[in-house]
Amino acid sequence: MVLLQPDPFLNELTSMFEHSTEKGTVWVTLKRSSLKSKVQRNKMAAAGEPLEYRCLIRATNGKKTISTSVGPKDHQRFQASYATILKAHMTSLKKRERKDKKKVAGADKKEGGSKKPKRA
Amino acid sequence: MVYITSWDEFVERSAQLFRADPDSTRYVMKYRHCDGKLVLKVTDDKECLKFKTDQAQDAKKMEKLNNIFFTLMSRGPDGKEQTEAQSGKKGRGRKQ
Repeated sequence: MVLLQPDPFLNELTSMFEHSTEKGTVWVTLKRSSLKSKVQRNKMAAAGEPLEYRCLIRATNGKKTISTSVGPKDHQRFQASYATILKAHMTSLKKRERKDKKKVAGADKKEGGSKKPKRA
Repeated sequence: MVYITSWDEFVERSAQLFRADPDSTRYVMKYRHCDGKLVLKVTDDKECLKFKTDQAQDAKKMEKLNNIFFTLMSRGPDGKEQTEAQSGKKGRGRKQ
Protein backbone atom coordinates (compact mmCIF):
# COMPACT_ATOMS: atom_id res chain seq x y z
CA MET A 1 0.00 0.00 0.00
CA VAL A 2 1.56 3.21 -1.09
CA LEU A 3 1.02 6.28 1.07
CA LEU A 4 1.42 9.45 -0.94
CA GLN A 5 1.06 13.17 -0.52
CA PRO A 6 -2.28 14.54 -1.72
CA ASP A 7 -1.00 15.90 -5.03
CA PRO A 8 0.86 12.81 -6.26
CA PHE A 9 -2.13 10.80 -5.10
CA LEU A 10 -4.39 12.83 -7.37
CA ASN A 11 -2.04 12.26 -10.29
CA GLU A 12 -1.96 8.53 -9.69
CA LEU A 13 -5.73 8.46 -9.33
CA THR A 14 -6.10 10.17 -12.68
CA SER A 15 -3.89 7.63 -14.38
CA MET A 16 -5.85 4.82 -12.72
CA PHE A 17 -9.06 6.13 -14.19
CA GLU A 18 -7.44 6.49 -17.57
CA HIS A 19 -6.11 2.95 -17.54
CA SER A 20 -9.37 1.36 -16.57
CA THR A 21 -11.61 2.78 -19.24
CA GLU A 22 -11.81 -0.36 -21.38
CA LYS A 23 -11.86 -2.87 -18.61
CA GLY A 24 -11.59 -2.71 -14.86
CA THR A 25 -12.88 -0.87 -11.85
CA VAL A 26 -11.73 1.97 -9.68
CA TRP A 27 -12.58 1.86 -5.97
CA VAL A 28 -12.17 4.90 -3.75
CA THR A 29 -12.66 4.68 0.01
CA LEU A 30 -12.96 7.54 2.45
CA LYS A 31 -12.59 7.10 6.15
CA ARG A 32 -11.86 9.26 9.11
CA SER A 33 -8.77 8.39 11.03
CA SER A 34 -6.44 10.10 13.39
CA LEU A 35 -3.59 7.92 12.16
CA LYS A 36 -2.46 7.12 15.67
CA SER A 37 -2.62 3.84 17.48
CA LYS A 38 -5.12 3.35 20.24
CA VAL A 39 -2.45 3.60 22.91
CA GLN A 40 -1.26 6.94 21.65
CA ARG A 41 -4.81 8.18 21.41
CA ASN A 42 -5.54 7.25 24.99
CA LYS A 43 -2.41 9.01 26.12
CA MET A 44 -3.32 12.12 24.22
CA ALA A 45 -6.82 12.13 25.60
CA ALA A 46 -5.49 11.74 29.10
CA ALA A 47 -3.03 14.57 28.61
CA GLY A 48 -5.83 16.80 27.39
CA GLU A 49 -4.34 17.36 23.95
CA PRO A 50 -6.88 17.77 21.18
CA LEU A 51 -6.78 14.90 18.72
CA GLU A 52 -6.18 15.84 15.16
CA TYR A 53 -8.40 13.99 12.75
CA ARG A 54 -7.54 13.37 9.18
CA CYS A 55 -9.43 11.93 6.28
CA LEU A 56 -7.86 8.79 4.88
CA ILE A 57 -8.46 8.24 1.22
CA ARG A 58 -7.61 5.00 -0.51
CA ALA A 59 -7.90 4.13 -4.18
CA THR A 60 -7.36 0.87 -5.98
CA ASN A 61 -7.84 -0.62 -9.39
CA GLY A 62 -7.78 -4.15 -8.05
CA LYS A 63 -4.06 -4.51 -8.57
CA LYS A 64 -2.46 -1.42 -7.17
CA THR A 65 -3.51 0.51 -4.09
CA ILE A 66 -2.60 4.08 -3.30
CA SER A 67 -3.59 6.17 -0.36
CA THR A 68 -3.28 9.59 1.12
CA SER A 69 -4.30 11.43 4.23
CA VAL A 70 -5.92 14.84 4.12
CA GLY A 71 -6.20 17.22 7.04
CA PRO A 72 -8.73 19.98 7.63
CA LYS A 73 -6.47 22.63 6.13
CA ASP A 74 -5.92 20.95 2.77
CA HIS A 75 -9.25 19.23 2.51
CA GLN A 76 -10.99 21.95 0.58
CA ARG A 77 -8.31 22.14 -2.06
CA PHE A 78 -8.14 18.37 -2.32
CA GLN A 79 -11.89 18.10 -2.54
CA ALA A 80 -12.01 20.54 -5.45
CA SER A 81 -9.32 18.68 -7.39
CA TYR A 82 -10.90 15.34 -6.61
CA ALA A 83 -14.28 16.54 -7.85
CA THR A 84 -12.69 17.74 -11.07
CA ILE A 85 -11.05 14.38 -11.68
CA LEU A 86 -14.29 12.51 -11.09
CA LYS A 87 -16.25 14.80 -13.36
CA ALA A 88 -13.69 14.42 -16.09
CA HIS A 89 -13.68 10.65 -15.98
CA MET A 90 -17.21 9.56 -15.26
CA THR A 91 -18.23 10.01 -18.82
CA SER A 92 -19.79 6.64 -19.46
CA LEU A 93 -22.82 7.31 -17.26
CA LYS A 94 -26.03 7.92 -19.10
CA LYS A 95 -27.34 11.38 -19.55
CA ARG A 96 -31.00 11.89 -18.86
CA GLU A 97 -33.07 12.57 -21.93
CA ARG A 98 -36.23 14.14 -20.68
CA LYS A 99 -37.05 15.99 -23.83
CA ASP A 100 -36.92 12.84 -25.87
CA LYS A 101 -40.10 12.21 -27.73
CA LYS A 102 -39.36 8.56 -28.21
CA LYS A 103 -41.89 6.28 -26.72
CA VAL A 104 -40.57 5.03 -23.46
CA ALA A 105 -41.20 1.32 -23.10
CA GLY A 106 -42.77 0.42 -19.81
CA ALA A 107 -39.80 -1.74 -18.92
CA ASP A 108 -37.64 1.33 -18.24
CA LYS A 109 -36.84 2.02 -14.62
CA LYS A 110 -38.60 4.96 -13.10
CA GLU A 111 -36.37 7.99 -13.15
CA GLY A 112 -37.90 9.32 -9.99
CA GLY A 113 -38.51 12.75 -11.46
CA SER A 114 -41.63 14.63 -10.71
CA LYS A 115 -42.09 16.19 -14.09
CA LYS A 116 -45.33 15.55 -15.89
CA PRO A 117 -45.03 13.28 -18.90
CA LYS A 118 -45.58 14.94 -22.22
CA ARG A 119 -48.57 13.81 -24.18
CA ALA A 120 -48.22 13.16 -27.87
CA MET B 1 -26.74 -5.53 0.99
CA VAL B 2 -29.27 -2.81 1.29
CA TYR B 3 -29.71 -0.90 -1.94
CA ILE B 4 -31.47 2.36 -1.37
CA THR B 5 -33.55 3.74 -4.20
CA SER B 6 -33.94 7.31 -3.08
CA TRP B 7 -30.85 9.49 -3.18
CA ASP B 8 -32.03 11.76 -0.40
CA GLU B 9 -32.71 8.86 1.87
CA PHE B 10 -29.27 7.48 1.17
CA VAL B 11 -27.63 10.78 2.06
CA GLU B 12 -29.62 11.23 5.23
CA ARG B 13 -29.03 7.74 6.49
CA SER B 14 -25.34 7.87 5.66
CA ALA B 15 -24.92 11.08 7.59
CA GLN B 16 -26.75 9.56 10.55
CA LEU B 17 -24.57 6.49 10.42
CA PHE B 18 -21.47 8.61 10.39
CA ARG B 19 -22.54 10.83 13.23
CA ALA B 20 -23.40 7.81 15.34
CA ASP B 21 -20.01 6.20 14.90
CA PRO B 22 -17.45 8.36 13.10
CA ASP B 23 -14.53 6.10 13.83
CA SER B 24 -15.80 3.01 12.11
CA THR B 25 -17.92 4.46 9.32
CA ARG B 26 -16.42 4.45 5.86
CA TYR B 27 -17.60 5.54 2.45
CA VAL B 28 -16.68 3.47 -0.59
CA MET B 29 -17.16 4.34 -4.22
CA LYS B 30 -16.82 1.88 -7.08
CA TYR B 31 -16.78 3.00 -10.67
CA ARG B 32 -16.73 0.83 -13.77
CA HIS B 33 -16.28 2.75 -16.96
CA CYS B 34 -16.77 -0.25 -19.22
CA ASP B 35 -20.20 -0.95 -17.69
CA GLY B 36 -21.02 2.66 -17.05
CA LYS B 37 -21.96 1.96 -13.44
CA LEU B 38 -21.33 3.72 -10.17
CA VAL B 39 -21.97 2.15 -6.77
CA LEU B 40 -21.69 3.93 -3.44
CA LYS B 41 -21.52 2.18 -0.10
CA VAL B 42 -21.55 3.56 3.44
CA THR B 43 -21.02 1.15 6.28
CA ASP B 44 -20.07 1.12 9.92
CA ASP B 45 -19.45 -2.62 9.81
CA LYS B 46 -22.78 -3.25 11.48
CA GLU B 47 -25.10 -1.73 8.97
CA CYS B 48 -24.55 -1.19 5.27
CA LEU B 49 -26.19 1.24 2.88
CA LYS B 50 -25.65 1.11 -0.86
CA PHE B 51 -26.69 3.13 -3.83
CA LYS B 52 -26.13 2.21 -7.45
CA THR B 53 -26.66 4.21 -10.56
CA ASP B 54 -25.81 4.64 -14.19
CA GLN B 55 -26.99 8.24 -14.46
CA ALA B 56 -24.69 11.17 -15.01
CA GLN B 57 -26.83 13.42 -12.85
CA ASP B 58 -26.19 11.14 -9.87
CA ALA B 59 -22.48 11.72 -10.31
CA LYS B 60 -23.11 15.39 -9.63
CA LYS B 61 -25.11 14.56 -6.53
CA MET B 62 -22.34 12.24 -5.44
CA GLU B 63 -19.86 15.11 -5.62
CA LYS B 64 -21.93 17.03 -3.12
CA LEU B 65 -22.01 13.98 -0.90
CA ASN B 66 -18.23 13.73 -1.22
CA ASN B 67 -17.96 17.29 0.03
CA ILE B 68 -20.12 16.49 2.99
CA PHE B 69 -18.03 13.47 3.91
CA PHE B 70 -14.72 15.22 3.44
CA THR B 71 -15.83 17.98 5.75
CA LEU B 72 -17.24 15.62 8.35
CA MET B 73 -14.17 13.47 8.34
CA SER B 74 -11.43 16.01 8.45
CA ARG B 75 -13.03 17.79 11.31
CA GLY B 76 -13.29 16.29 14.74
CA PRO B 77 -16.18 14.19 16.01
CA ASP B 78 -19.44 16.12 16.28
CA GLY B 79 -18.33 18.23 13.38
CA LYS B 80 -16.46 20.66 15.53
CA GLU B 81 -13.91 22.76 13.74
CA GLN B 82 -10.40 22.17 14.90
CA THR B 83 -7.69 23.96 13.07
CA GLU B 84 -9.77 25.95 10.69
CA ALA B 85 -8.50 29.50 10.70
CA GLN B 86 -11.20 31.98 11.39
CA SER B 87 -11.11 35.19 9.44
CA GLY B 88 -9.67 37.59 11.95
CA LYS B 89 -12.30 39.33 13.89
CA LYS B 90 -10.02 40.07 16.73
CA GLY B 91 -9.43 43.59 17.84
CA ARG B 92 -11.63 45.83 15.77
CA GLY B 93 -15.21 44.86 15.47
CA ARG B 94 -17.01 46.96 12.95
CA LYS B 95 -15.45 49.17 10.39
CA GLN B 96 -15.78 52.75 11.25
